[in-house]
Amino acid sequence: MLICRCEEITEEEIIEAIRTGARSIAGIRRRTRAGMGLCQGRTCRRLLAGILARETGIPSDDILSETRRPPLRPLKLNIL
Amino acid sequence: MDRIKTTEIAIIGAGPAGLAAAIEATKARARATLIDENARPGGQLFKQIHKFFGSQAHGAGVRGFQIGQELCAEAEKLGVELLLNTTVYGLFEGRVLGLMNEHKTMSLKAEKIIIATGATENALPFPGWTLPGVMTAGAAQTMMNIHRVLPGKRVLMVGGGNVGLIVAYQLMQAGAELIALVEAASQIGGYQVHAAKLERAGAKILTSHSIKEARGKNHVESAVIAKLNPGWQPIEGTEREFEVDTICLSVGLTPLAEIALMAGCEFRYAKERGGHVPVLDEDMQTTLSGIYVAGDAAGVDEASIAMEEGRIAGIAAAESLGYIESKQAKILKAESKNRLFELKQVEHSDLSRPVPTQAGRRRGEDGGAKYFRSESPPPDFMECNDSIAALHSPIPIIECTQYIPCNPCETSCPSHAIIVGKPITNLPKLDPDKCTGCGICIACCPGLAIVLLDMTFSDTESLVTIPYEYLPMPRVSDEVDAVNRYGETLCKAKVIRIRNPKSFAKTALVSIAVPKQVAIEVKGIMIV
Repeated sequence: MLICRCEEITEEEIIEAIRTGARSIAGIRRRTRAGMGLCQGRTCRRLLAGILARETGIPSDDILSETRRPPLRPLKLNIL
Repeated sequence: MDRIKTTEIAIIGAGPAGLAAAIEATKARARATLIDENARPGGQLFKQIHKFFGSQAHGAGVRGFQIGQELCAEAEKLGVELLLNTTVYGLFEGRVLGLMNEHKTMSLKAEKIIIATGATENALPFPGWTLPGVMTAGAAQTMMNIHRVLPGKRVLMVGGGNVGLIVAYQLMQAGAELIALVEAASQIGGYQVHAAKLERAGAKILTSHSIKEARGKNHVESAVIAKLNPGWQPIEGTEREFEVDTICLSVGLTPLAEIALMAGCEFRYAKERGGHVPVLDEDMQTTLSGIYVAGDAAGVDEASIAMEEGRIAGIAAAESLGYIESKQAKILKAESKNRLFELKQVEHSDLSRPVPTQAGRRRGEDGGAKYFRSESPPPDFMECNDSIAALHSPIPIIECTQYIPCNPCETSCPSHAIIVGKPITNLPKLDPDKCTGCGICIACCPGLAIVLLDMTFSDTESLVTIPYEYLPMPRVSDEVDAVNRYGETLCKAKVIRIRNPKSFAKTALVSIAVPKQVAIEVKGIMIV
């Protein structure tokens, strides 16, 4: 089942990333690219947090959002 | 890149919070620049075709899109500087915003920044959730109410909060069939009055149920739902498959305050407001001086609350620039805070708690919204039911059983027969001696929770007047089905009168003649 639709990352891949040590959304992101696509995680961020909480028992209020950097929205290079 | 432009107050997002902030700041003669990535201002307001709750001061009884029109007109009149089709892609050192439109990037340096970027709808993954035809409730609402495209003909709504209930009703108004609404919790989270609209149209509300799978080849063709145990896990063997072409997800919202996060503002976790939200002071200012957050971005709530938060932020920002004296600002902010307090005086968890009433007897196995859980005696305004047969004049039956901050029934009543009082979350009380049976309260109730009962119509029949918001409108002397609160046909009924003046804002009053013995049960009509 797809979780990150932009980068086409499945639930299994995310669980595997957690198994190999990811303990934050940024950790999952670096290992899988989940949340690094067009929507920059606006759709899947919460789902990633949910899977992380379920798999590790980390309380969801402790799962902080990863750092945000510009551009927040896709930015065409030719207008920069 | 163009040279850096400047403004005094940059407001990001022209929804209810951003518009209200811009209006207040501009009123104070501060220079405000309102930025929105859409082609027109108003945010989600133009999708909201239902009447809002609240009091007159909050615009109660007015449909959301009209509140949007009013805000936009006021902003235009005041000359708010508006940058449309413009997206903020970043916030940099020295409060410089990176902006872009289709053609170019720009920089805008602001002395104060108000972030009013709203919220984003939550996703719910299940096998098949990426099939075309699965969409969020908000997306369906945009298609219907903005673009006038019906997203599908047979819809399953997932989630029984207010968004799910309202969008489900609007889908039915637009001509779609609501196959079912499923809610994972044991009772719906939204207002009972919204659920009642669905039920009396015959829709199924299944609590302790959720979607398990969407099936279809290239598009949703069916949905499998299952009953959930108290741990929200599907119970094997309870699966049911419904033929649907659209699955709407209404499973909550997450505040979208990424710009505040990027700036380095402190956040806290507030489950009831949708997740991590910026830490704010009473001026809606973040932990970074000069950066404010208002509206859903500060924590998910209703549009009326967003507007007040926006006003406070706009006033506070103008005050800090010296445009409003602190004494005057204090008064202005207090006015907004009072209106906010009226809307928020009951915590959300309490708002959704059902008030016991026998008005809604519980239905059997997985039927009914189960918002009426108790068989205990009804609130006193319902007591007239028992003596209904003895009524000598028309009387409104008010089925308002939750502490909703709302009082248009009181303020619209020309004879002051309905009292809500303060706080406006009180349940309405009717003084039958003062009531003239005019029916204005029926059209003004945003919850469509009032019917008018006239037992004196004839020796054998009563006249029941119900609020009606579907098309086509029945005509006088048409025969329709009179239905009960579950949309079950009670009898055939003749339409006696239709009232649909402009002042009712498209909530028509349809009066039907029904046999006396069923009159008390009649809650709606269906055109056959």
